[in-house]
Amino acid sequence: MSTPTETLAFLREVRLFKDIAEPELMILGQSLDARPLRRGQVICREGDPGEEMFVVRTGSCVISKLVTGRVEQVLARIGPGDFFGEMSLFDRSPRSATVQADSDATLLALDREGLRRMTEVSPRAAAAFFHALVLIFIERLRASGDLVAEVTRWGLEATGLDLDARA
Amino acid sequence: MSDLRAPSTPPPKPSRPARLELLVRPKDDDESFEVREIGSATAFVQSRPQRIAPDAFELAEGGSRVAGQHHFILKNKTTDRFLMLTEREKFLWEQMDGRTSLQQIATAYVLRYGEFDFEIIPNLIRKLQRAQLLTLTPSSRLRQALARNRRKPMVKAIESGFTVLERINISSRNVHRVFAVLYRFGGFLLFTPAAVVALAVLALVGVGVGVKLWQEGGDIVAGFGGHAVRGILMVKLLFFLTVAAHQIVHGLALVHYGRRVREFGFTFLHGFVPTFYVDVTDIFMASRRARVVTAVAGASVHLVLGCVWFIVAYFSPLGSFTQAFAAASGMIQWQAFVIALYPFCFIEMDGYHVLVDVLGVPTLKQEAMAWAGGLVRGRVSGRFGRQEQLFALYVTLSALSVAAFIAFNVMLISHARS
Repeated sequence: MSTPTETLAFLREVRLFKDIAEPELMILGQSLDARPLRRGQVICREGDPGEEMFVVRTGSCVISKLVTGRVEQVLARIGPGDFFGEMSLFDRSPRSATVQADSDATLLALDREGLRRMTEVSPRAAAAFFHALVLIFIERLRASGDLVAEVTRWGLEATGLDLDARA
Repeated sequence: MSDLRAPSTPPPKPSRPARLELLVRPKDDDESFEVREIGSATAFVQSRPQRIAPDAFELAEGGSRVAGQHHFILKNKTTDRFLMLTEREKFLWEQMDGRTSLQQIATAYVLRYGEFDFEIIPNLIRKLQRAQLLTLTPSSRLRQALARNRRKPMVKAIESGFTVLERINISSRNVHRVFAVLYRFGGFLLFTPAAVVALAVLALVGVGVGVKLWQEGGDIVAGFGGHAVRGILMVKLLFFLTVAAHQIVHGLALVHYGRRVREFGFTFLHGFVPTFYVDVTDIFMASRRARVVTAVAGASVHLVLGCVWFIVAYFSPLGSFTQAFAAASGMIQWQAFVIALYPFCFIEMDGYHVLVDVLGVPTLKQEAMAWAGGLVRGRVSGRFGRQEQLFALYVTLSALSVAAFIAFNVMLISHARS
């Protein structure tokens, strides 16, 4: 169990919260719920309803999307300071991927109520939070494009498919 | 402000093959998982291209204006697209049955033509795909069959076991230098006329001693006392280690013929047969004689060890554990020698590779099995030409040989137990 000071020190290092002032960060810290995980524990499965987003405090997690049967494609591996689950938090849609602890880990959960409170109490902190979020989204969007390109290249190389073919 | 402009220069062309990172769960609803990286090159050589159904294409030999040069016309009857194939391309097309991997097809090509053009297979695949004459099925038949029956707990357990074992692969691709040193410091002696003479003499002595021991078989196996099965298991374990020597001699033969040893390692073949292996594919670029010598040299290790064990057994006290152990070890080594060089046992061992090399039928086993399967299902035409005779001979001899081998071992074990 970490102290509020330790939590604050950690949050200061998280990119998502880097532009939030310390007093507001302290309030935010109180809204975060620590969740210890053992290795292999599934945090959420693709298709589950989602009400929270998570910041990885310690350990690492694997984000994967079902491909077929028992096989899933690894979308990302995330470690301390990274976050996930924000899409369902905002648009209320089911989880888009499965997240599983790759090692013993601790997450900090932020639910819809915590987010609403932050927005109401400090619009400036909320703006900083959303700005950081957008920048990270852009990075992820670019990474998704790279992943699609890599998977496509894999398919072309693995099958010897001819791009000049005119079927 | 985010930068959404397109980059002014195109991104550099990736230099490494693409890799997929896949998360595989061994069991349903289980927390355990494994992340595997699969390179596109691995997937490509293990893919099993399958030509379209026989009634969907026509193949005809085209007229040639140059004597000795054949070409063929392949027509996709659905799309009315035509493709011209050389004789070599036709050979490759015939291998694309959905069961043979590209790696095996490349090997068959080298065995057939004695050389390899590294572009011919990818180029042909591109041509065939363009003409919609091909589908690709990437995965082994064994694993497909297991996957189909995964609902049965036993099958699922076997599949899980295979998956775990298949992943065990301890190998090095940087071994050529080691083999070259081994060759320089004594390995070359194995490929001299003196070694051949010594082998012949040793074999003769071994046969003589073996016959003598066989006559005293009952007293010898009594040396195991009441632990015959345990003794034989120990013999098998020791034998397994000598498989490494077999593979090392294959590697030395490669060095002898100036070819490269590309890999040496240990793995579980098909997920359940523990084995050492050496990559001898570079020998396909050498002469047929070199290929035959390489195949026979590895197997000869078992002949030598068998003879040595028989001589040890001969000079050991009658009925002692040492004699029983040595005799059983000699027997298993000789069995390994015969199996390695005997081509008719459904296993693609050294002898099989020599046979297909000599016959010029690189996919004999696959074709013969397909023919026999068709025969059982009543899907074979009445034609019984030379090729069909060869298939029938291969399947019959192999079936009889396997039955005889099993019977011989059952007899040995029951003889030992009694």
